[in-house]
Amino acid sequence: MLFFVGLLLLAACQPTDTPTSKYPRWVGDISADPELDDADFTACNEKLAAQYFHLGQQLPYKGEKYAIEQAFAKQFVPNPAIKQSGLIRIRFMVNCEGRAGRFRMIAMDTNYQEQQFDPYITDQLMEITKSLDGWEVGMRKDESVDYYQYLIFKIEDGQLKEIMP
Amino acid sequence: MKLVLTPMLLSFHLFLLSQNCNAYLYQGDTCQYEACIIAEKRAGKYQFSRLYQEALDESIARCDRFSHAYRHKSVAYLKSGDFLNWKKLMDKAVALDPAEHLGYRGWCRYQFFRDYRGAIADIERLDSLVTYDIGHSVNSDYHLNVAKAICYKAIGQKEKALQILRKQLQEEDHLVGIYDYLHLGVLLMELGRDAEALDAFSRQRTQNDLAEIYYYEGIIAAKTNREKAITLWQKAKDMYLENKRMYDHYTYPYDQVYLAQIEARMAEKE
Repeated sequence: MLFFVGLLLLAACQPTDTPTSKYPRWVGDISADPELDDADFTACNEKLAAQYFHLGQQLPYKGEKYAIEQAFAKQFVPNPAIKQSGLIRIRFMVNCEGRAGRFRMIAMDTNYQEQQFDPYITDQLMEITKSLDGWEVGMRKDESVDYYQYLIFKIEDGQLKEIMP
Repeated sequence: MKLVLTPMLLSFHLFLLSQNCNAYLYQGDTCQYEACIIAEKRAGKYQFSRLYQEALDESIARCDRFSHAYRHKSVAYLKSGDFLNWKKLMDKAVALDPAEHLGYRGWCRYQFFRDYRGAIADIERLDSLVTYDIGHSVNSDYHLNVAKAICYKAIGQKEKALQILRKQLQEEDHLVGIYDYLHLGVLLMELGRDAEALDAFSRQRTQNDLAEIYYYEGIIAAKTNREKAITLWQKAKDMYLENKRMYDHYTYPYDQVYLAQIEARMAEKE
């Protein structure tokens, strides 16, 4: 709780707009983009958005990470002809109602170099991620807050091997 | 769900801010000394914030061989899963001071990205560079050789993993980690050495009693005595619900079990 009070104070002291800076207000902030995002998704108070690890619950999902792993194990279908390897991260915001939106993707090869994966892989991962509906509502005292979450998918020879965090 | 402030988070942050800039001055390195002083401007600022990053950029502008600035900058990218920017920054830190940063980079490659081969490479390179103990993970939970053993297991080299793990645990000055003997027990169990695994689990119980111990003991018991296994899994479930289980703030420790796994074992038919 003290941490969040600290964040509040810090947020209050941050300049709200510094056009000359190359950084967002906080590293990894995801701005709404009408061309990419579901029009129905709104953040409650994104200036105070937490990171998932501020919530003290490892991965805040009903049924824990196990439920997410099961969802991908059941729904992700590898294509034997696609042999790409590396990591794919999908990061998004969970709003104060427990709804997820603003999904963004980055990917790398096994040498941490940016890589485009075959859409057969990335489209599936994005669709399954968007279908996950068990995100917990992040709470501060009696108030719900928005938070940022990510899932990283470890792909080896086109197979989904592990999910992080 | 409650927001929590853990001592670990605070201590980790304070550790990162506690660098002694005077050390550079004593070495006659005014470039790094001044960069270090500038970097202290980030004190009290949120690691993810623009001001935190900009203070470190200013530090680098003053002395671009101040490796800690790159490392400190990398943390927010690590914690947000941005492997691309994290790795670029940590590569700079490692290039400037390999002995100082290889262990940290290797640990993060394992913990956050399950990059087992990359972690092994970093830890082994560190070992080849220094004559002193290579030390622990940044969260203090693991000696880096224990982490290396887990990585070897993860890539299928279980006998090598066992050799590394046993050697480290036998070191006279080894500080037993909170999960060391749990990992040893699981590894032995996977190698079919159940009696030795049970010894390791007993040892873990004396160090740090965890739900996972009873879960894995139940798997061994189920081979001969289903009733005993159910009792052990019930104990695992009870401890899990009391939060007496493996835990990491950011990621899932290797060999951690989920509640659903325990319940699935209990529901299995004989």
